Amino acid sequence: MKRHLKKMAGLAVVACMAASPQTAAAKSATVQKIEDRGTMLCSGHNGSYFGFVEVNDKNEWKGLDIDLCRALTTAILGDPDKAQIVPLSWAQRFPALQSGDVDVIIKATGWTMGRDTELGLQFSLPYFFGGTQLMAHGELGISDAKDLEGGTVCVEAGTTIERIVADYLKTLNVQHEMVSYEKAAELRSAYLANRCDAFAGWGPNLAVLRATEIENPESHKILNDQLSSEPIAAAMRQGDEDFVDVVNWMLAALLLAEEHGVTKANVAEMAATPPNPTVARLLGVTPGIGERLGLRETWAREMIAATGNFAEIYDRNLGKDSPYKLDRGLNNLWSHGGVLYAPILD
Amino acid sequence: MSAPSSDWSFEPLKRRVFRSPSDTALSLLIFALLAYGLFVTVNWAFFNAVWSAGDAALCSEAEGACWSVIDARHRLILFGLYPYELHWRSTLACAAIIATVVLSCLPFFWTTRRLTGLWIAGFGTYYALMEGSMIGLQQVTTDQWGGLSLTLFLFSSVVLIGMPMGLGLALARRSRLPIISRGVAVLIDFIRSLPLLTTLFTAAVVVPILLPSWLQGDKIWRVILAFSLFFACYQAEVFRGGFQAVHKGQTEAGRALGLRPWQILSLVLLPQVFRHALPGTINMVVMTFKETAIVIIIGLFDILASANAAFGTGEWAPYYMEVYAFVGLIYWVFIFSLGQYGAYLERRMAVVSH
Repeated sequence: MKRHLKKMAGLAVVACMAASPQTAAAKSATVQKIEDRGTMLCSGHNGSYFGFVEVNDKNEWKGLDIDLCRALTTAILGDPDKAQIVPLSWAQRFPALQSGDVDVIIKATGWTMGRDTELGLQFSLPYFFGGTQLMAHGELGISDAKDLEGGTVCVEAGTTIERIVADYLKTLNVQHEMVSYEKAAELRSAYLANRCDAFAGWGPNLAVLRATEIENPESHKILNDQLSSEPIAAAMRQGDEDFVDVVNWMLAALLLAEEHGVTKANVAEMAATPPNPTVARLLGVTPGIGERLGLRETWAREMIAATGNFAEIYDRNLGKDSPYKLDRGLNNLWSHGGVLYAPILD
Repeated sequence: MSAPSSDWSFEPLKRRVFRSPSDTALSLLIFALLAYGLFVTVNWAFFNAVWSAGDAALCSEAEGACWSVIDARHRLILFGLYPYELHWRSTLACAAIIATVVLSCLPFFWTTRRLTGLWIAGFGTYYALMEGSMIGLQQVTTDQWGGLSLTLFLFSSVVLIGMPMGLGLALARRSRLPIISRGVAVLIDFIRSLPLLTTLFTAAVVVPILLPSWLQGDKIWRVILAFSLFFACYQAEVFRGGFQAVHKGQTEAGRALGLRPWQILSLVLLPQVFRHALPGTINMVVMTFKETAIVIIIGLFDILASANAAFGTGEWAPYYMEVYAFVGLIYWVFIFSLGQYGAYLERRMAVVSH
């Protein structure tokens, strides 16, 4: 029943748009709901997921995913503190989205075909790429997988990682010995006991492990190679394309701000004297960015003032200003060797 | 119960532990291992431990426990995501629940009216303090409740709602109308054949998809009702065991004395049923306290979830042992007290020692 109503609302929106193609896009039904409620419901975690969703000493949520939710909340409601984080388990997140317990899932969630089609979700632009990487002992002095010639690589048995590493090293024609362990804990202690030269795992997890469980974080190096990659994106209910636009342009604005050097500190200054037309459009000096999404013209300006640009959010939660010190790598802008890019702001 | 102290005098000890040279050697070896274990534990937990949050930097060097994590994060463990400045309300609410439980252990309160009044008062105080809007404080919605205060709330509401419900089901199962007794039997078997996790997941996640929003209510209440139903179905069987232990002749004797059916029930049957059902009931209550941790899977921030969050940050990640030890201690204190209370009740309610 609920879903029918939503579909009808969506149709109504389409009808409105068709009737008046010249005016601004109609407001997304989800955004309307969020505005009526006065709070934005985002996904939290039942505990903590390092770097993405955590709780600080003041019992407040923090993390990359939380900051993105706060950015989205600022874009829609103008105040990051209106974000309401609903703790969810992994299993619960998709039903909770469908039942309306949350407005959006921003929770280290990979974009897969099954979720996109069967589960009736739609995904935003990926904001994070996490994939299989290798970590090696620092004293080996290597930074690329091709230098692992003749070395031993430890992996967890029976995971896709095992196959990915074998394929990758075979392609590079690196002779190596693969040792697999049944349990993550065994794998870790084997690596720490120097029984393997390198150890393979999900990039962010390796960084967390290095930062938290290993005695001297500096003496371990996460190699530059990205063996595989999983796009992490925000998930929304099917049927509200306008809301997808809002989420996508929220991410795009954070990336554009980084690209053009707009930061939390200088955003007011930049808005007063925009250095180029893109920044002028981004910060709402040249109108358009708000009207076309059904939001305020200054939403991006307020959002950057509240949370900073994408680099600031990343560095604070996973990167150099966090305990994890995870390199940007793939998660850098396209212009800095990464794969993150924003669509064109015209 | 005979006093066990006489077994601890030296003579039986000698007889049992140092009976032969090989026994002596084995005993000494075991004692030595136990002593070593105790020594290591005490060293870890006390002598080599780092205590204050300010000394967190010392933790990576220290040999012993890093209690700094508890110092820094205990408010997260105890109160979950409850707003930081309002923790005094959560503290008072916890105290109200604990006081209610302790008071209801006093024989003075053991009449239906007093007990009901006490629980309504204690529960009302808890809810008013935690929620706040009813007594003119800032409103805190139930999704922000967490930590020990949420665990206590879940536990006491489940037992409070489930216990009368269980009694009702047990009585219905004894009904002479087959449609009622069979129907209830099928219901009990149905609920018992589902895992608790499934029941709670349905209540928390599936119900909102099926029901219109005005019928859904708050997630926490849906979960409490489902959990209570689960509890009641098991408890009904415990009560049924109690009913079966009372001889049929007593009902007949009551009828012969001209008592009405509800008088037979409340004056003759129930006092005996409660006594027979007590060990099973204490068992159920203790298990329920521990099972509340399952709600972690439906995103309620109970004490275990907030413990996970407490060490789930880069700074404190290596010290999960300390956090689990702390939470384990809290569980132990509550469950041990429950067990002791049960033993006290049994002593008190015993008619004659057999």
